[in-house]
This record gives sequence, structure tokens and C-alpha cells, in this order.
Amino acid sequence: MNDFAVQFQGVSKRYKYFTLDNIDLQLPVGQVMGLIGQNGAGKSTTIRILMGLVHQDEGQVQVLGRHMPEEQIAAKWDIGFTSEDLRLYDAMTLEWHMGFIRSIYSTWDAEYAKLLLKRFGLVAEQKMKGLSHGQRVKAALLLVLARRPRLLVLDEPTTGLDPVARHEILRELTGAMADEECSILFSSHNTQDVEQISDQIAFLDRGRLIDSSDKETYLDRWRRLRLEVPAGIGLPALRGVIAVKQEGRIAIATANAFEADLPNAYERTGARVQRVENMTLEEIFVANVEHSREDVNV
Amino acid sequence: MNAQTSVVRQMVWKDIQMHRKLMASLMIFGAAGLGLFLVKREPYTVLGGIALFTALILTSAFVPGSNILNERKRQTLPFLMSLPISAIQYTTAKLLSTVGMFLIPWTTLVIAAIWMIAVEGVLPHGAIPMALMLLTLPFVNVCGITAMNLVGETEGWNGAAQVIFNSVPGVIWYLITLSPALTRDLGSSQAVWNPTVLTFLGSEFAVIVLILALTYYLQSRKRDFV
Amino acid sequence: MDGFLISQADKRPMYLQIMEQIKQRIAVGDWAEGQQIPSIRQLSVDLQVSVITVKRAYLELEREGVIVTRHGKGSQVAEGVDLGIQLREAELDQHLEQAAKLGAMLGMTSRDLEKRLRSVVEKSVEKELP
Repeated sequence: MNDFAVQFQGVSKRYKYFTLDNIDLQLPVGQVMGLIGQNGAGKSTTIRILMGLVHQDEGQVQVLGRHMPEEQIAAKWDIGFTSEDLRLYDAMTLEWHMGFIRSIYSTWDAEYAKLLLKRFGLVAEQKMKGLSHGQRVKAALLLVLARRPRLLVLDEPTTGLDPVARHEILRELTGAMADEECSILFSSHNTQDVEQISDQIAFLDRGRLIDSSDKETYLDRWRRLRLEVPAGIGLPALRGVIAVKQEGRIAIATANAFEADLPNAYERTGARVQRVENMTLEEIFVANVEHSREDVNV
Repeated sequence: MNAQTSVVRQMVWKDIQMHRKLMASLMIFGAAGLGLFLVKREPYTVLGGIALFTALILTSAFVPGSNILNERKRQTLPFLMSLPISAIQYTTAKLLSTVGMFLIPWTTLVIAAIWMIAVEGVLPHGAIPMALMLLTLPFVNVCGITAMNLVGETEGWNGAAQVIFNSVPGVIWYLITLSPALTRDLGSSQAVWNPTVLTFLGSEFAVIVLILALTYYLQSRKRDFV
Repeated sequence: MDGFLISQADKRPMYLQIMEQIKQRIAVGDWAEGQQIPSIRQLSVDLQVSVITVKRAYLELEREGVIVTRHGKGSQVAEGVDLGIQLREAELDQHLEQAAKLGAMLGMTSRDLEKRLRSVVEKSVEKELP
């Protein structure tokens, strides 16, 4: 039908103390998009607008080819959603919830549900109020995964979880991608998860999209260069470098548009490049936020 | 649309299941009240009537809050809205289940009252129109309280709704006693459906329709549902 | 896919780690020439790593002539004489390049470097003798 699972064009939403400003996003079918940003950056708002739970003030949103929020009912048949602030019914058992979902969706895969119970270490007969935080997150995810939806929309799926639980969840999320028609959009401030399983990355800060790119290209654009600067030499501002921190003769340059010639460019100025390093997404996150805030003169 | 009505139906059923203990106690209470009523001797008749009426009041005081506000308070609303429904269908499901749960004690009371008058002759038949007019008031009430909970979404609105709708019957009762057209034929042996009575009943019905229309209108205008 | 491990402690990009581990399997002979290897999507699921990363690794490996991808037939280890040895030799070259760079930093001539290499080899041979 459509090549894109999710499309945002010029989407804006204004609240009293926060504005989501002119968001453009595209997630091709069969790919995973990680939304990163600090708390309050607008990740949850973006996801709510995607689900039709919040109406945008401006812009077009299409999910699985359907306009949101007008066609949200049709879209939600194929979407599995869970959110960090979503709770299930305390007084009811996981089994009851599974039955409830099964009574609505015909795509429920009972075998997979049973397997997930085992893999997640959950007991179906247990009431939700008896579960730990991690178990509740996994329970909500089970309800969504066992339906095998075409699009998974997950707001902070691994936040607050221990490493084992996180690993269990990432395993199922990447497992779901064995189906080429399945797409995932998730938000996280756990950059490790995003770095590991995302095909596309979108970076939100204070309601603005400050970066949007495929992950490999994005990680490739960033480098940290460790430099030794002889006395009497001032480091010039080079293209592609967004920050230089220097103390005495040691300098660290952060580049967000690295080109193969950059180390040579520094060497030509007289500085010595001691090392060129890749940066983790976490380091990029911090550097990017600092840089973008400088830009807007905040 | 078949799939849609099915989702609404599942949600109504879910609400009833979540209140199964309440439903059970209401039915027992109702049955007990009815039983007392059928003894046909004072003070049992009065006690029965009070029991049934109490069940009615408690239901309309408790159910809208527990059925509607709790979805927000307990943060289960995102779960429901992630299902393939719209805010309007959610509203329908909640109206059906809330008013539906109220109908259990209400229908019991109405049947008991009409039976006592029409069959057992506890009161002359002239009292039937009055009984219907008065018994319809709690029904209007529960619609109003449910509506304000759905639209207002907070305890504050629930409280306001309870105050407004529980004080209105008293006022209406008083106004009724002032109307000769309504009180004139109470003692007669036949039920008299004069125009005033019909207008009154019609107005109650119209108020319910108005409440529902307003609810759907306001719900449809919400842009930040969750 | 036991034996494959993407490490966070390893600061190199994930796709490079994948490439190296695939080459290692070929070098030791676990994956024979012409043998079918997992599809991009399958490996991505097994490693719990994004498809785009595995795709990049496969593209690079294909460019290096280590694997071959045929449309509709998946990917196989390339046919080539002594691929295992070729890979080991490429690995050796990488190490030697690094040694040359370090030598240059220390201001050594190529003769100094040769002498040092010889003494290192002799010492390691001594260590291996019973």
C-alpha cells in the first residue's frame, strides 16, 4: 500500500509550556526507528500524536497509510502500543488481559503468547498488582507482541528495567523484525538500546527535531579527535567540527560531519592527531544537545 | 462496523466484569429489598422501599467515579485507547456500562413499585403516573453524573455532578406538589395520563437526550484525549 | 548463533565487529568456501542488531570479495583460493601498518623497525620452546 509505516510532515502541537515544532519524520516499512531525547523533549507527545490520542495543531500524520487522527480506528487494528505510563488492570490477571485482547484481535498467536510467558518469566494466573515493575512492562509488551501487529509503537519500552529484562525485550523486538512487513518505532533515553537495534534515528530536543538519519550514516558522521597542540598554535575552526575543548597543549575536537581529510587538516595547522575515535550514541547525544542549544542561543 | 460494535461490546463487558462484586451485592440487596417489599405489611414495605432506593443512590454515587474516573487515575486509559476505537466509541461504551449497571437496581425498583400499585393495590392506581415521574428522576440523574464524569474527567467534576443532580430531585419534588394538574388525580382508582403528566415525562426524556447529545458533542471536540 | 558477540566494550562500530567475526569464521574454516551464510535479516535477528548494520557489514564484505550475494539466492562465502590465508594475511598487514605508524612516531627508521621485529620474533620463539 505505502512504502512508509510512519510519516510526519510539518507536525506541530502547542501546549502552555511546551511546543512541538515542525516535526518531519519518515519510517520505511520493515525498519526500526529510535526516538531519542531527554525527558520533556517531546518524544511522548510525538508518539501520542502518532497514535491519534492527541490531535496535532498543524501538519500531516500518516500511519500505515492512514491519516491520523481521523482514521485512527483503522490504523489501530494494525498497531501495538505500549507506554511507560500505561498500566493494566490491577485487580485482573494477566490471563484475563490476554483473553480480553484475544476477544478483540483476530491475529492473536496463542503459541507465541505461551512462548513469551516462558521467555519473560511471567505467570498468567497472577494478578497485575502482584507484579514488579519489570514484569508489568513485559506483560504489557506480551499483550502487544502476541498479536503480531504490523507496527509496534513503544514509548520507553526498556526504561527502568534490569539488564536481563532489557535483554529479553530487545531479543523479542529484533525477533519481531524477522517479518519484513513489521516496523517498530520506539522512544528511549537509553541510547544503548537505540544504538543496537535501530535502523533510523530521530533526535528530539525541546520540541524540535535536531537530527534525523539512518543510524550507520549518523554514527559515521561523528568522531572525537584527540590532538596535541604545540605552543603558539591556535586551532582554527574547521568545517565539520562543532566543539573543541582545550587545556594547555591537549585538545579534544568533536566533529559531527567527519570527513577522511579532517585529521590531515589538523596536521596541516601544526597540531598532531594522537587518536581518532568513534563516539557512542550516548556521547553523541550529549554533544548534540549541547551544540544545538548553543546554536539557538539558549 | 461489525468489528467496531464488537470492541464496544467487549469494553462494556469488561466494565461489568471489573465491577462484578458490586453487581453481585447490588443484586442481593435488590432481591432482599424486593423480598421485604412483597411481605406487604408495614414496616416491611417501607424498609424494602428504602433498601431499593438506597441501592439506587449508592450506585449513581459510586459507579460513575469507579467506572470512569479510575481509568484516568489508574492510568489504564492509554491501554484502552490503544485499542481500535475512537473517543466517541469509548464514550458510548462507558455510557452503556455505567448506566447499564445502574439499571439493575433501578429496574428492580420500578418493577417493584408498579407491581405494588397495579397488582397488589398498596396505593390507588392514580399514583402510577406520579410513581413513574418520580422514579425517572434518578435515571436522569445517573445520566447527568455519568456525563459530567466523562467530560470533566476529574474528581472535582464528579463532586459537582453529585451535588447538582442529587439536590435537583428535591426541588422538583417540591414543584410537583405545587402543581394541581399533577397531584389532582393521585387518589383516583384509575391512572390518569393528563397532558401535564405527559409533558413532564416527555421533558425528563428530553433532558436525557440533551445530556447525551451534549456529552457526545463535547467529547468529539477534545483534542488531547489521553 | 553462538560464537558471535557484539561487544559494547569494543569501541569499534558494530558493523566492523560483525565483519571481523565473519572473516574469522571463514579463516578458521567453520564457514567453507561457497557455503550459504545466514541472510541479513536472519543474522540481525540472531545477533539482536539492526538490519541496517548487518546490511552494511555484508556490503563491505562483498566489496572486499569475501562474500557474494546473489539476488534471490542469499549470500555465500566467496570462492577463492586460500581465502582463509588471504584474510589472515590482510590481518597481518593491518598489524604491520600499525607497527609502522608507531615506529614513525618513535622516530625509528625502517631498519630499526626490522631489527626490532626480528628480536621480537626470536623472543617469542624462545618462549614456545619446551
